[in-house]
Amino acid sequence: MNRAYYWLILCLSIPAFIWLVPTIWMVSLSFQPNEVLARTTSSTAMGLVPIPFTAENYSALFAFGQTPWWFLNSLIVSVGMTIGVLAVSTTAGYALARLNFPGKIPITLICLIGLMVPEQAVFIPLYTMFADFGWHNSYHALILPRMAVPIGVFLMMQFFRAIPKDIEEAARLDGVGWMQIFWYVMLPLARPAMMTLAILTFLYAWNDYLWPLVSAQQREYFTITLGLASIQSNFAQSEGLGRVMASGVIASLPVVILFLIFQRYVVQAMTAGGSKG
Amino acid sequence: MQGSKPRRNRFSQTQSAWLLLLPFLITYGLFLIYPFFRGVWISLHDWNLLAVAFNPDAKDFVGFRNYERVMWGRNIEWGFASPFWQGLGLLGLAASAFLRWVDRLSRFNAIALGMASLLLVVLPGFHPGEGGRWYDRRFWPTVGNTLVFVGLAVPGVTISALLLAAALNKQTKAMGALRTLFFLSQVLSVTVVTLIWQIMFSPRQGLIANITQAFGGTPINWLTDQQFAMAAIVIATIWWSLGIAMILFLAGLQDISADIYEAAALDNARGVKAFWYVTLPNLRRTITLVVVLQIILHFQVFGQSHLMTQGGPNDSTQVLVRYIYQTGFRDSELGRASAMAVFLFVIMGAFSVIQFVVGREDSQ
Repeated sequence: MNRAYYWLILCLSIPAFIWLVPTIWMVSLSFQPNEVLARTTSSTAMGLVPIPFTAENYSALFAFGQTPWWFLNSLIVSVGMTIGVLAVSTTAGYALARLNFPGKIPITLICLIGLMVPEQAVFIPLYTMFADFGWHNSYHALILPRMAVPIGVFLMMQFFRAIPKDIEEAARLDGVGWMQIFWYVMLPLARPAMMTLAILTFLYAWNDYLWPLVSAQQREYFTITLGLASIQSNFAQSEGLGRVMASGVIASLPVVILFLIFQRYVVQAMTAGGSKG
Repeated sequence: MQGSKPRRNRFSQTQSAWLLLLPFLITYGLFLIYPFFRGVWISLHDWNLLAVAFNPDAKDFVGFRNYERVMWGRNIEWGFASPFWQGLGLLGLAASAFLRWVDRLSRFNAIALGMASLLLVVLPGFHPGEGGRWYDRRFWPTVGNTLVFVGLAVPGVTISALLLAAALNKQTKAMGALRTLFFLSQVLSVTVVTLIWQIMFSPRQGLIANITQAFGGTPINWLTDQQFAMAAIVIATIWWSLGIAMILFLAGLQDISADIYEAAALDNARGVKAFWYVTLPNLRRTITLVVVLQIILHFQVFGQSHLMTQGGPNDSTQVLVRYIYQTGFRDSELGRASAMAVFLFVIMGAFSVIQFVVGREDSQ
């Protein structure tokens, strides 16, 4: 490592710090008393250091607000959607990648076409459908539409295609059925790909905004993303800046922790999701 | 089930395949394919959300009238109504023809540039003539705003991500940490991003205003000033979505072998020169892919406009998806909203095809 390298690191630290400032500011404001924030947001070091310090915003959040409830909703919806997407994607992905059956090519093409349909193009008909079924304001209304998006099938299909054929053939010679091969041989091998897909789905579910906005009209069924949107339009009057910022921090915590622990998978998931749909 | 045939061989390959496909095909048909066609069906009707909710027969088939109401007007004429954009389009046409002629442009790129320029010549030429008017005065300006947003956010993200990726392309701990920092904002939800930036931009409490004041300047009313509102949501968007682009560029940079740089260094091409003559030409495919992806992503912008500026001031940040949402769920005009959604789908579909073609070229 030479001098130029250290200079480069130093030069890049400045934009990196600027990049981080908005996040630091949110966290810092969430730890300052609302009375102070009503007067000024730049008490210490432009407000980037939480002095005067208080944790009251967080305790208030858990004592009254609906934030914990919304957080729970988000957790239920995100975990439910992740399990659902994994279930339909691994099975369909395996069938399309490794099994031969009449109609395989047309089915693959039909699934491929679905990648072109953006959520924004179907949310109105989905709304009327779910209204006809009386499904709005429920967890399954928030979960089901994303299970139909074929991106997961394609990720799994690509993964299964890359597994060498001899593993399967050896099992076939021993007289093992296709379903058993899928369950006992392929699924354990697919763990890394499933992990990537799970993270992609969880991030999407946690951060989704448009569909919950039209489907969940009762505050009891808001996800945290939606709840945060509902309180940020009038934050100054109602609850105080500190508490809104604390909600923002709580809302970001799971995805940030997920990101920091599984960074490799998150990056993989977001590039896979980004570059294919 | 106690026959001599072992139980585990019950399903043939075809049966297993269909059984495994079934759960996905059901959800896919029910919640994506069917809604899509139903959306087209709704767009052909005069369909009021509330009226139909009370009486399912309260919808009238109107054919393509909704499309006409959204996109057309009375006495619409074609001419050189906006010389700037149309001139730019003509320039683009000439440039694509010339560059193709001197062989500086691949056929694919020449066709793409030519098509885009042609659209630029044709589309802005439509305008209401004597005594005419658009049936929907807000639709085309909304499409225009969306294009302006895309036109600012996509180059902003692409250029900054490219520079960052080139600078951070070393496998060391410190570089890894910096990459993490730049990627972090990407995992936040749109509501957290808008929450942060709404207050960042606030003229009374905002960090930006505080800094301007510390230097004796007058704070700008970012979100309510027509000149700055679009810039504000573009800045928030760049901050939010730089990560993916950077990661895609880093992946592209990994594929350029070190030998090329060594050879270039022998020819005295280092640093900026190497970036210009080695990195950029070798990254062309990745750049195209990132640009197309970003166009698809940002054309669907909704949250930033809906939450930060509510489409204002004076409709200057009103974008297409927000207009669809409002037409459908505030004005209850599902028919017109669906017509706009079909319009959105057609544009997105065109870009998806481009993305697919570029991706295919990439893997060959």
